[in-house]
Amino acid sequence: MPETRLPEQFRDLEQWMAWSLETEGERSDHRQASAMEDITAFYEAMLARMDEVLPYLEQFNLEELPDDARHLFYLTLSLAEVAPAVEQFGQPSVVDGYDIKRFVATHR
Amino acid sequence: MSATPNGTLANGNGSAGGYKWHNKYPHLGTGPVPADVFTSQEQFELERERIFKKVWLNVGRVERIPNPGDYFVQDLAVCNTSVIVVRGKDGAVRAFHNMCSHRGNKIAWDQGGTCQNFTCKFHGWSYGLDGRLKFVPDEESFFDLKKETLGMTPVAVDVWEGFIFVNVDPNPTETLPEYLGDLATGLKGYPFGEFSTTSTSWTSEVNANWKVIKDAFQEVYHIAFLHKRSIPDSFTSKNNPYAHSLDVTLYPRHGSMSLFGSADYKPSPVAKLAAQHGEIVIRSDFSMDGLPAGVNPLRSEAWSLDLNVIFPAFFVDVSQGSYFTHQFMPIGVDKTLWTSTQYYTQATTPGRRFSQEYGNVMFRDIIMEDGRTFEETQSVLSSGAKKEFYLHDEEILIRHSHHVIDKMLKGQPVDAAFAANGKEAASHA
Ligand code: FES
Ligand SMILES: [Fe+2]
Repeated sequence: MPETRLPEQFRDLEQWMAWSLETEGERSDHRQASAMEDITAFYEAMLARMDEVLPYLEQFNLEELPDDARHLFYLTLSLAEVAPAVEQFGQPSVVDGYDIKRFVATHR
Repeated sequence: MSATPNGTLANGNGSAGGYKWHNKYPHLGTGPVPADVFTSQEQFELERERIFKKVWLNVGRVERIPNPGDYFVQDLAVCNTSVIVVRGKDGAVRAFHNMCSHRGNKIAWDQGGTCQNFTCKFHGWSYGLDGRLKFVPDEESFFDLKKETLGMTPVAVDVWEGFIFVNVDPNPTETLPEYLGDLATGLKGYPFGEFSTTSTSWTSEVNANWKVIKDAFQEVYHIAFLHKRSIPDSFTSKNNPYAHSLDVTLYPRHGSMSLFGSADYKPSPVAKLAAQHGEIVIRSDFSMDGLPAGVNPLRSEAWSLDLNVIFPAFFVDVSQGSYFTHQFMPIGVDKTLWTSTQYYTQATTPGRRFSQEYGNVMFRDIIMEDGRTFEETQSVLSSGAKKEFYLHDEEILIRHSHHVIDKMLKGQPVDAAFAANGKEAASHA
């Protein structure tokens, strides 16, 4: 059984595969359930590689991402998900925010 | 502080204090808003009968039902009904009360889908996409059934720029274009269709009056405080610390506010990455070519976005490259279904999609800050400790909204007051 892998030059990011999640709901749940130190470590690891990650992904059409690139792409979406936690709030949830579990996504 | 004829202040960035918007619309007065309008069951019943059952209400967009047979269900508790919105075989969008002619059962129990006929689950009466009653099981044992008069009850429906509106009044007193009036004219040409090929939407049942929620989204006085973490420098600057708006345009019932955007905005590392691959709300390099006259009406370079508040409870907030909507559907005096949706042009590249996802997440987290105030406010409103609330000049859309509601509940024409103001405003200038 082939395990989920990232493209060869991004194998160092494979320790973050738990963040390779397809939907906003899953990514948001994972952010809310994670400790801030894990979120920050993931954020820093991703941010450090984004200058290579985005140009690499940009060689593909969104609909035609190979499996390994697709997982890398999901990691970038998780970076977008955790960005406000790190850059704005300093905690996983919105400070003084509405209960996000009651804000139900009706998109995928 | 005096307003120039076009409503801008001398320094041009809207930063100075004073009574800019009051001077533009003096007919609204300066008095407080009564507190009980948010908690009174009597007021809510009047709003139901005299507003929500009389006006055009947005129920969604056409992209939701692209093909014949596609339908969705919109519960309209405030109008004591549920509505089926369906695209017919002829391509036309129709709406019906979601209620069977036999003994009243709700015909569609789901939220939407695609079908050839609507068949009632109770005893199997079946209706066409055009609402006609087509089939009654064991029809012979009924008495004088006139099938041709027993279709689903139609609801007035019309589409503006892809937005579907219904009006449950059996005889609406005005058409949708008449209802939307000059607000629609000003937005004509904004690429709503192009920007709506994909969307992200969230919904929540909030224990608060619909006006508590609406009012929180129709002023920017709160930005420097409630949003100090999420957007500390996007809508405020050294010269405009309280996010004073660029322009306000009021219509008989609707209202628009053009918002300041700060050129000193310092994007975070991820915001910077997102900006390299797509649109973000605040940018310095946007072009005003092709913008409709009603978007960024002052053609300000310090512009971020415009709020367009379509009465009674639908917002179409437009910026450069994307737009978002808020919809508030009252369920009871202290219960409201809140839906916010961000629209985008479908991304074809991973970078663009990443940029949009960052926009989504920021949008969601920012409105989570707004959302916290709804129930915190409602939970103490019934105490009776406060009899009235005081509005800042920048809260003029709230003042206007309460003014219009008050007029409608009293059965007074809103247009008359507005016409009188037009004269006053002219004599001011
Ligand atoms: S109520 Fe619908 S068929 Fe009887
Ligand atoms: Fe807000």
